[in-house]
Amino acid sequence: MTDKSVKIEKADLMKSFWRFILAFQFGWNYERMQSVGYCFAMLPILKKTHPDPDDFKEAFIANLNFFNTNPVVGAPLILGAHIALEEAGASIDTTEGFKVGLMGPMAGIGDTVVWALYNSIIFSIGSIMALSGNVFGPILVILLVFFPYMAVRYWQFMWAYEQGANLLSSLGSGAFAKITEFATIVGLIVVGGFAPSIVSLSTPIQFSKEIEIGGEVVTQVVEIQAQLDAIMPYLLPMLITFLAYWLLKKKNWNPIQVIYLLIAIGFIGGAVGIFA
Amino acid sequence: MSNILSALLLALWAYLCMTDMLGTSFFMGFRPLIAAFGAGLIVGDVQTGLMIGGTLELMALGVYNYGGASIPDFTVGAILGTFFGKGGNYEVGIALAIPAALLLTQMDVIAGMINNVFVHKADKFAEAGDVKGFDRMMYLFSHVPYGLSRGLPVFAAVALGEPAVKLVGTFFDTYPWISNGINTAGGILPALGFAMLLKIMPVGKFPAFLILGFVLYAFMNVPLVGLALSAVAVSLIYQYTKNQKMEA
Repeated sequence: MTDKSVKIEKADLMKSFWRFILAFQFGWNYERMQSVGYCFAMLPILKKTHPDPDDFKEAFIANLNFFNTNPVVGAPLILGAHIALEEAGASIDTTEGFKVGLMGPMAGIGDTVVWALYNSIIFSIGSIMALSGNVFGPILVILLVFFPYMAVRYWQFMWAYEQGANLLSSLGSGAFAKITEFATIVGLIVVGGFAPSIVSLSTPIQFSKEIEIGGEVVTQVVEIQAQLDAIMPYLLPMLITFLAYWLLKKKNWNPIQVIYLLIAIGFIGGAVGIFA
Repeated sequence: MSNILSALLLALWAYLCMTDMLGTSFFMGFRPLIAAFGAGLIVGDVQTGLMIGGTLELMALGVYNYGGASIPDFTVGAILGTFFGKGGNYEVGIALAIPAALLLTQMDVIAGMINNVFVHKADKFAEAGDVKGFDRMMYLFSHVPYGLSRGLPVFAAVALGEPAVKLVGTFFDTYPWISNGINTAGGILPALGFAMLLKIMPVGKFPAFLILGFVLYAFMNVPLVGLALSAVAVSLIYQYTKNQKMEA
């Protein structure tokens, strides 16, 4: 492993960091979310750590995998640590497992801390000032966004890079297999929970019938979604995810065919009122 | 200032707000408070911008598109509200801002769907090892669908004026199935991302962990941070017991 290692210079780190700042969620899409932005930030590093053109292509492709996390607290940390792993010559399995394992938890932490807590506080202060006609309301918010966001992103990126490098150099050579396995298990558990939290599909269908109880006519409404929830919560999101998985894995469909199918199911189902 | 010039400047501002949201995050321009403030500067009525922005921001506090879920488009709502509310017509501005925000929820979903194109182009660039082509796509095109998804409606609404905005609103009210279809499709599209992820992971070797994660979230309502900590704990226990067995 060590013979593959390449020294990452400060200039490479900065190049990656600025690409991240400029364009991390450019091209955000439903299929793989932040994947192209992540790859864009990693490319200056990948070019150095994979001098062989075929190796490089493989790494380029792998870095286009599905990725989604909080862009302020989360993404810089994962990028920094990933660069440290790249520098130490980690395999694609290791780095991808690592990304998958961290993106969900970091999204949870980042969304809570940045969006739900910090932003809610500064924006409510700014709004109240604005409503009293004070121009400094939005200006204060802009200042409280610009400086802390820059600082927290830079610090995380550098810290994770340095810690990642230290951590790896102190580990033995058997460590990668262990880290990969560790990251894979964490990743699978997180994906198991992350998927139902994001994929959303339910049915608004309901039946009503009139039944007679002790001489009184009562209208009973049967909601299909409630019945499904009683069987298993998030049943429909899971079924649609597994349908997509099965088509990709067993039927060798390509992602574009799956997209068309999903859009058809969603649009028609939503339009006629079977799904919501 | 003519309506066309205002329309152009406000559309550019909307585009910039979106680009900042996607990339730099320097000023959170997509938040209604900031979007309306900028619009107020452009139309020369900062006070209306502050009122519209402050009102919408308090309505939307804590509303973010977590994990790509679609939310009402308060950015465009704030910009249009400021434009139509300028010169003391605050009530008109708010009355327009909210339906506009709800109406344009779809634009976000459509942009995210159009952006699927980039990921497939990127796959091609990766297979060819073409970094220059990929970079060009990122710099020049990757922000266009999101930017225009806000820029075009702002331009159209400001240039055509209030009657046109009401007309579009009535159209979607008359045919609600169009919005329903787009929303539902947007909700299930992330299934593909997860399916692709699962395809590259050893699901067959470790199905138990996938099931465990699902049960923790779906049945026990463990929040994502708790889920992650449980995942770390389970992974540590797994590796610890495996090592114990190997030593025995």
